[in-house]
Amino acid sequence: MTPTRPIQALSAALAALALGTAAQAEDVLKIGAPLALTGGLADEGHKQELVWKMWTDKVNAAGGIDVGGTKMKVEVVEYDYQTDGKRAGQLAEKLINDDEVDVLMAPFGSGHTKIVAAVAERYQVPLVACVASSTSVYDQGFEYLFGTLAPNTGMTESMVAEFKAKMPELGTVAIYGRDDVFPKSMATATSDSAKAAGLEVVYEELYPVGAIDHSAALSSIKALAPDWIYMTGYTQDLILGRKQMQDLGIEAPIITMVTGPAYKEFTEGLGELADGVTSSTWWHHATGYTDVAGAWSSTDAFYQDFLEASGGEDPDYVHGSCAAALDVVADAAARAGTTEPVALRDALAATDLETFYGPIKFGANGMNQGREMPIIQVQGEAIKILYPENIADAEMTFLQ
Amino acid sequence: MGFAQILANGMVLGTLYACIAIGFSLVWGVLNVINMLHGSFIVLGGYLTYFAWAYTGISPVLILPFVAALLFGLGYGLQYLFINKVVSAPVLTTLTLTFGLDMILYNLMTVFFTATPRRVSMEFGRLEFWGVAMPVDRLIGMGLALLLTALLFVVLKTSRIGRAIVAVRMDREAAALMGIKVNHIYAITFGIAALMAGAAGSVFAMVFPVTTNLSGVFLGKAFVICVIGGLGGVSGALVGGLALGIIESFAGVLIGPQNAITVGFVLMLVLLIVRPQGLVGVKGYE
Repeated sequence: MTPTRPIQALSAALAALALGTAAQAEDVLKIGAPLALTGGLADEGHKQELVWKMWTDKVNAAGGIDVGGTKMKVEVVEYDYQTDGKRAGQLAEKLINDDEVDVLMAPFGSGHTKIVAAVAERYQVPLVACVASSTSVYDQGFEYLFGTLAPNTGMTESMVAEFKAKMPELGTVAIYGRDDVFPKSMATATSDSAKAAGLEVVYEELYPVGAIDHSAALSSIKALAPDWIYMTGYTQDLILGRKQMQDLGIEAPIITMVTGPAYKEFTEGLGELADGVTSSTWWHHATGYTDVAGAWSSTDAFYQDFLEASGGEDPDYVHGSCAAALDVVADAAARAGTTEPVALRDALAATDLETFYGPIKFGANGMNQGREMPIIQVQGEAIKILYPENIADAEMTFLQ
Repeated sequence: MGFAQILANGMVLGTLYACIAIGFSLVWGVLNVINMLHGSFIVLGGYLTYFAWAYTGISPVLILPFVAALLFGLGYGLQYLFINKVVSAPVLTTLTLTFGLDMILYNLMTVFFTATPRRVSMEFGRLEFWGVAMPVDRLIGMGLALLLTALLFVVLKTSRIGRAIVAVRMDREAAALMGIKVNHIYAITFGIAALMAGAAGSVFAMVFPVTTNLSGVFLGKAFVICVIGGLGGVSGALVGGLALGIIESFAGVLIGPQNAITVGFVLMLVLLIVRPQGLVGVKGYE
């Protein structure tokens, strides 16, 4: 069921209208964002909103960005699309036509990004997606779409190789994924990578969106006793999945949950049960990038600012990727010297930037190719980086 | 994998399902209202239990009666103040009203609690017998679900209020002529349904992560269970819940978890065609 909050939407619209009128008086780079501020993805939408506010406050306080010799302030115009994909598309059109934004930011997730990307392409307005990683979004021939997350396949190949190196006797894997755009593509990519690396995939099933019990699938997995259990899904699925593994007495040397440990809610919800669970993620605040371009000169500088803005919460990859996405837009506008959409699009395509989030360089399909994504593991109460080696801070531990 | 383990998984899941559906079935059967608020009531019960546990450390089992009482008050108030005004209107009107109330409750919960999944992370361990592993928290949940269902059964069968509820369900006009305050009974019925939902939420907070996203899932399950089990009595929710739990458990193993939920819906469709009153429902309430 999709909830609505008409009063908030109306106030947001009025506020945006008022801001829009004021903004015309000075040079402003306008960034449009349909956000899921209510509904099922509200948590994720608020994450995007928070870091974009942090970014614009910081950049505007420093005088704005230099575009063709003019200092421009940056303004994010946002609307709540209530986690309703169709509405996200309608609001993207509104942002382009009524608010006349220079560039769009995509909402959370591959599914909704695809919808907004079709609108952006039709109006030829650049769209930067910070939380869409499924290649299926980028292989539609969209020329105005750019994504700061890297392809899923890169993530799974490096994970299989790393685990085989750390556990040479690794032979069997059970893969259990949520039947949804991103979790499904990660499950499929892992299956392909595992088979290519010579592992035997002993169980490969998907569970439907809305599943509130995994005992049937997990009981099947228990009987197969795999060396590695790989489960994908959203946080609530993974908390339940890990707990039910414990309930049913299922053990394996490696348990991977994507992208569970990347979120604080996962470790909080599971307590000690989270210990030892591995995952891959696009970014973690423990990664130590320094002397980089953008609003923050290092990962730690971003982390400290974030702690202050969030009241002590830890950032996850959504925060990192979305904040860095605005660095990308600012960098492109500065290089293009104009906010004209086609020039901005060309400048985005030529991006080659080191940020606190890591390197960003778009491939031919618009996806970020310039990254080796971290493999992480919950060790005690901390999240440790196992891979890549240049930022690793712990050795992998096994659960059995 | 053993037949016994699949059956045990299904039975435990089924009892939890019954716990979801019982209040929904009561309101539908007695008031002829399809209560769209039901899923959010369960989630609210879960959140209240979680926060009470997180701040005081008291076991969810002890928190349950307080949450249930609070939800009873909320349910009674909503029915008395709002739903009673349109309770005699066609079912679409009451459905729309509860849908609107649900949107308000759902969004208030999202604003105040956020949609972040939260779980009462108490580990109760598991029991193993004859090669069957059973998590203790689910067994507690199962016990509570059965206890609540039995209590409701006894209340409906033996108490004055229970008899009044049954009388109103059978014939509203005749009940009114016998001196029963129909609006009061409606509000009590809705309150009991909310109480059962709140109690289910407390049980679920021990077993599942609580998030507002689950409200629609719970509502959907309640609907399917009522159609399978049938309306008009406590037994319908129990039989429907157990049937759905066991079917999903076997289907998950035999034809894959992806199709398990579909099997439940197919069963619902078949029953609607061949036995619209459900497996144990009273004819005339379908």
